[in-house]
Amino acid sequence: MKYLRSVFVPLIILFVMVGCSSDNDSPKDDQNDTFDRAAMLSNWADNIIIPAYTAFNLKVIDLKSKTTVFNQNPTVENLQNLRTAWEDAYVSFQHVSMFEIGKAEELRFRNRLNVYPTDVLEVESFIASGVYDFSLPSTIDDQGFPAIDYLINGLAESDLEIIEFYTTNSNAEGYRTYLQTLSNTIADLTDQVLSSWTNGYRDTFVANTSSSASGSVDKFTNAYIFYYEKALRAGKVGIPAGIFSNQPLPENVEGYYKKDISKKLLLEAIDATRNFFNGKHFGNNSTGPSFKTYLDYLNTIKNGENLSALIDSQFVVAENKANELNANFVLQIETDNSKMLGSYNELQRIVVLLKVDMVQALNIAITYVDADGD
Amino acid sequence: MKNIFITLISITTLLLTSCSSDDDQPSEQGVDAPTTYKFERGGESTVAFNGQTIRLKMSGELKDAFLDFGSATEASLMAMYAHEKGNNDFNDSELNGSDVNLRSKTATSYDYFFINLVESAQIKADLEGYISSQINEVFPNRMVVASPGIAGQVADGAKTRYVSGRGLEYDQAFAKSLLGALMTDQMLNNYLSSSVLDEGSNRQNNDNGITEANKNYTTMEHKWDEAYGYLYGNSADPENPNLTIGADDKFLNEYVGAVNKDPDFSTIAEDIFDAFKLGRAAIIAKNYKVRDEQVAIIRNLVSKVIAVRGVYYLQAGKTQIADGNREGAFHALSEAYGFVYSLRFTRNENTAPLFTRAEVDVLLDKLINTPENGYWSVTPETLDEVSEAMAAKFDFTVAEAASK
Repeated sequence: MKYLRSVFVPLIILFVMVGCSSDNDSPKDDQNDTFDRAAMLSNWADNIIIPAYTAFNLKVIDLKSKTTVFNQNPTVENLQNLRTAWEDAYVSFQHVSMFEIGKAEELRFRNRLNVYPTDVLEVESFIASGVYDFSLPSTIDDQGFPAIDYLINGLAESDLEIIEFYTTNSNAEGYRTYLQTLSNTIADLTDQVLSSWTNGYRDTFVANTSSSASGSVDKFTNAYIFYYEKALRAGKVGIPAGIFSNQPLPENVEGYYKKDISKKLLLEAIDATRNFFNGKHFGNNSTGPSFKTYLDYLNTIKNGENLSALIDSQFVVAENKANELNANFVLQIETDNSKMLGSYNELQRIVVLLKVDMVQALNIAITYVDADGD
Repeated sequence: MKNIFITLISITTLLLTSCSSDDDQPSEQGVDAPTTYKFERGGESTVAFNGQTIRLKMSGELKDAFLDFGSATEASLMAMYAHEKGNNDFNDSELNGSDVNLRSKTATSYDYFFINLVESAQIKADLEGYISSQINEVFPNRMVVASPGIAGQVADGAKTRYVSGRGLEYDQAFAKSLLGALMTDQMLNNYLSSSVLDEGSNRQNNDNGITEANKNYTTMEHKWDEAYGYLYGNSADPENPNLTIGADDKFLNEYVGAVNKDPDFSTIAEDIFDAFKLGRAAIIAKNYKVRDEQVAIIRNLVSKVIAVRGVYYLQAGKTQIADGNREGAFHALSEAYGFVYSLRFTRNENTAPLFTRAEVDVLLDKLINTPENGYWSVTPETLDEVSEAMAAKFDFTVAEAASK
């Protein structure tokens, strides 16, 4: 009996150990892998972030000057020029919206430039009183691109009727001043953010190669995924499609008053996010290190496939699905919301790939929590 | 061979009997709980908690009104708190026509405050103090950016929070303190108290099936339902409240639901409901031993929800401060403040309060008074200290409460 036990027990232990061996696809990388973080941070900063901000800055300078021209002479032609400048800047913004770190984070940049829907009642009361402070947290839905949208596209049905607010209206000066302040604020904030990058933040960002939660890679990854989940997936599609409420909310689409740019902005945002993932330089077709190369370096496999390839192909799927939508999301929601839901589903798959699979592979912790509903 | 066979059977039987659990076999003790909270007499429901439902609705409107910068005044908020029948204090006309109010049941439980009128008055004054402070400190600074010592706005992501000079949201402090001083206190220390359940001839009447005049429930049944109503009074389906637990109000219901979502506490909603259900069935079965066992469970678990949530918010705030987002932390810390305040109304199984007023005051002081300008300077170390002090009186760890 005794001899049986001395063989039996170790055998059981052996079986248990073998049975418990992990068969994870991807090797768990250790915290101090030898991937060149500095090279990736520098590709991000020098080839994507700063060029994108530089391009955007030019657009908002143009937006500001077209606003000035319009205010000096509110004609239909000047309104249309202003509108074009606004749209161009709005499209360009989609390439910088995800970079909510450093100065942008400090200034609450994305919230000051793109919170929608605009609180029209409050905007009108600000115009009437002439008293407003755009640095107040509570005024984020009274400023930015969506507020300009209201003022150049939402005041009336036709351009002729719109310009009356700036010419014959009893408070025409109030409207002109408010519109100018909106454009000036966007330009000023952008200038602050770009200057911060080019006057020192770039070096701080690139030098912080720590693999801890306070390192640039961790912090930026959190900002990138937060942007994708909340601003892109939820903000542009999920919320208007009614995913987070009892019914669709068409008044919550991006570009509500312009009516036909919601899809354009969404596609641009998906494109920008995908390009960043792949390390594609802003403005040309070269690529440098980014999430894709990091995942490939770690040989990250999911379900037998290369995770980076999975993510990239899902970006393509999402883009194609979004392309099937009507340019006017309000119309799309009202005629066939199921297409919005279909688009949402494809965008949602990317959230899982990024927020679960990618961060696990890169050993990065998601530090933002879903805001308390209270 | 036969001997071996019998031995084998005996061993098997022994094994089987020794494995049976006896912690959820009510039928062994003679009380069967129904599957839902459905109790009838003569084919009609005996369950009633309308006063509780009304108070939950009043609390909800009052909480929202704290941020009604356009029309709320100190008088209007006070009137919502101490409503008098017929006054148009609320949007909901049903509430306006009601003769119940919030103030008269604040800190008035039999067990804790029957002979403690001084403290009861202090607690009412605390709640009214939040109202006054909101109107007098925060409302005038509605369009001011808050800073240490200066009330006003702070950004919390895309949300705007309105805080005192110490970074405290008075609406959160009020709502979470009311959760303790009204809903919890009435439930655990009044309606589930033997001084109330067994008052006068309640037990005798219950034994003899004597119902209240013009009602089809015994007094004891009704008191129990009133306790139930402070948690489930606004449920979409009060017979099956766990279908929507967490979504039915902004008070105990919300937080039982929230804690239940944490894998460390994943049966708490079910356990609380089962205890309410079984206790109510025990009353009908005239089995007061089982009834009182359920009282102990409810007290234990509801108290735990308050403590877990307090720790959760303190830790959430701490993480945000450590991340460099102090202003974003004020919301969580303000909720924590109210949950810490509510510890005063918790209790362990049957008798003692888990935290005395003095102990709670020490914790609140650490959070909001001793650091200069309160939450503008409170340290992660202090938040940990208060979290540990809370968790120490329960069977959970800070880490368990802090996780989602």
